[in-house]
Amino acid sequence: MSQYVFKLPDLGEGTVEAEIVAWHVKAGDAVVEDQKIVEVMTDKAAVEVPAPVSGVVLSVTGEPGDKVPVGTPLIIFEVSASAAPAPATPQPAAPAAPPPAAGAPVGVHGARIMASPANRRRAREAGIDLAAVRGSGPGGRILRDDLASGVRPAAQSAESTTEIKVIGVRRVIAERMSEAKRTIPHFAYVEEVDVSELESLRRHLNGALIAPAPALTYLPFVVLALARVLESFPQCNVLYDAARGVLVRHRAVHVGIATQTPDGLKVPVVRSAGTLGLWELAAEIRRLSDRARTGQATRQELTGSTITVTSLGKLGGIASTPVINTPEVAIVGLNKAVERPVVRDGAITVRRIMNLSSSFDHRFVDGYDAAAMIQALKERLEHPATMFIPKV
Amino acid sequence: MAQMNMVQALNSAMDIMLGRDPSVVLMGEDIGYFGGVFRTTEGLQRKYGEHRVLDTPIAEGGIVGAAIGMAVNGLRPVAEIQFADYIYPGFDQIVSELARLRYRSAGDFTAPVTIRTPCGGGIRGGQTHSQSPEAMFTHVSGLKVVMPSNPHDAKGLLITAIEDDDPVIFFEPKRLYNGPFDGDPNKPAVPWSTHPKGEVPEGHYTVPLGRADIVRAGAQLSIITYGTMVYVAQAAAAALELDAEIIDLRSLVPLDVDAICSSVKKTGRCVVAHEATRLSGFGAEIAAIVQEECFWHLEAPIQRAAGWDTPYPHAFEWEYFPGQARLAAAIRAAMEPA
Repeated sequence: MSQYVFKLPDLGEGTVEAEIVAWHVKAGDAVVEDQKIVEVMTDKAAVEVPAPVSGVVLSVTGEPGDKVPVGTPLIIFEVSASAAPAPATPQPAAPAAPPPAAGAPVGVHGARIMASPANRRRAREAGIDLAAVRGSGPGGRILRDDLASGVRPAAQSAESTTEIKVIGVRRVIAERMSEAKRTIPHFAYVEEVDVSELESLRRHLNGALIAPAPALTYLPFVVLALARVLESFPQCNVLYDAARGVLVRHRAVHVGIATQTPDGLKVPVVRSAGTLGLWELAAEIRRLSDRARTGQATRQELTGSTITVTSLGKLGGIASTPVINTPEVAIVGLNKAVERPVVRDGAITVRRIMNLSSSFDHRFVDGYDAAAMIQALKERLEHPATMFIPKV
Repeated sequence: MAQMNMVQALNSAMDIMLGRDPSVVLMGEDIGYFGGVFRTTEGLQRKYGEHRVLDTPIAEGGIVGAAIGMAVNGLRPVAEIQFADYIYPGFDQIVSELARLRYRSAGDFTAPVTIRTPCGGGIRGGQTHSQSPEAMFTHVSGLKVVMPSNPHDAKGLLITAIEDDDPVIFFEPKRLYNGPFDGDPNKPAVPWSTHPKGEVPEGHYTVPLGRADIVRAGAQLSIITYGTMVYVAQAAAAALELDAEIIDLRSLVPLDVDAICSSVKKTGRCVVAHEATRLSGFGAEIAAIVQEECFWHLEAPIQRAAGWDTPYPHAFEWEYFPGQARLAAAIRAAMEPA
């Protein structure tokens, strides 16, 4: 089976648009070739348009009363492969393709850069890397005017600087970070967590692993504990819908994992983290980070988190002030776990200490609640057995 | 200067050559006593005699074969094939003998034969009086292939062809005999007497082979064409209000590659138009040359407007003929944003 897209044809005499008068078919209908499918009105006449193929209507576009330009995809048929006609001969009056959707117009079609030979020569002569140029033409094709925004390599300029265009993932990151910092009154909260017991559990579990199995990091433990804790702090597992002025509380905890990739920061999402066990969480985090790092993560896998965890591992430092991943209201950062001298029962002793550096949206999370949530998280992490005991 | 239509201009060319060169002879079906079905040779037998202007049997293989024999023996025959649609019985003689004579004899013999033949549609001639087989002859090494689009060029090119020591296939777009034609059969016919290219010098002059005519200089796209389509192209580009450069090739072999390529390098966009069927038409050769020579200057894919890949129809002449609408579609495609 294949799809056949029927575009509004030029109904003669240079028609540029037609008004839909009545649909004779709807999605799901089976039609036979030449059956009347839609009545349209041009500025010259009302025309009954026949079906060009036999098949099942998958979708129709436009309501009676809508004016649609010639070339607009009107109706999509599902047809058996053998019945699919060859691609129609070029329609004399087919207008230029509609402008590409915003957000997608990079001049790359799959892995191929789309540009006319003339523009490729112009780019080559000007030292412009077409891969860095956004195409504004049909299908993201790079037009001559787009070259003006192209990157010139350092060698081209007298200054020893390199200009890197802010595009793609980097542009999205930049916009989202700016928006978060501009609209969210962040407050940071840093607490130290004694992870000595967690470390011994982690070492024990890793020691029992068969060789190729990857070792556990702190991250799945923190995600596990966080999912448990948020059951008691629903105000931190919230998305703010600014357009409607509504806070949307989520029963499920979808944890975003801030991940460094060659393209920049991405946040793949562990869905319903509260329903996963430790090993499942570890595997899922690993799977998602790998996919994000290799550029395979789907849009689905990169959206929908309700709270985010960020960890720089060995680069974690002492404290940090993470930026909230809008429209969430909280982000939890892990700092580096190191052995430190601490005082316990009046004596100095060596313990493994890891700081948690978190930020909250002060509009919706009060300091008291944020502190209580982090303390609850600390409690679970310092006594790891409690992570595996359901809430009483 | 005299006003002539294309028939008169061709007649004048042959008249002048018969007068200048005693080795020139005309031969063909009904060209002598009758003066030719299109009147192209009218009065010439009366003026030069039956030994200079010969009526032949209806046998195109014989016409071409006899012309070759006469040429080898020092004459300069101008053979008429009444319609290009009838040329195929002579095709073997043309390909196997005429085209190769100089090569096969290592230059000892040449074949200064001109074969004139009316071509193209637009006259309700159906499949046997409307064909445009020029591409077949461009494929045969050793032949020169010419197609004028107006009386001035027709006379100058025919004189050049007759004076050429090698064989020339000279196609005459019959729809243009009496006037330019923009592809719209419903418009009143336009006579050459109102067209600047209908001004034809009375005496001897030549138009060189291999030199295209830039009919209209323009900056936005190049339309490469010849024959009847020259006028269709002008009308289509004008209707679209485009600043098109229109190139009339005039001769396909030799081909004015420089004119084509300097134009396409200037405009970056190219449409090729001819009446003949699209598949393996001469437009394919031009498109290939353009992409070889001008690839890095192309803003959009090269487009072709041509006859459909069917025999020339009896009833649907204007559905078949590549008129302004088909050319406009090709032009629009070539004007894709870049």
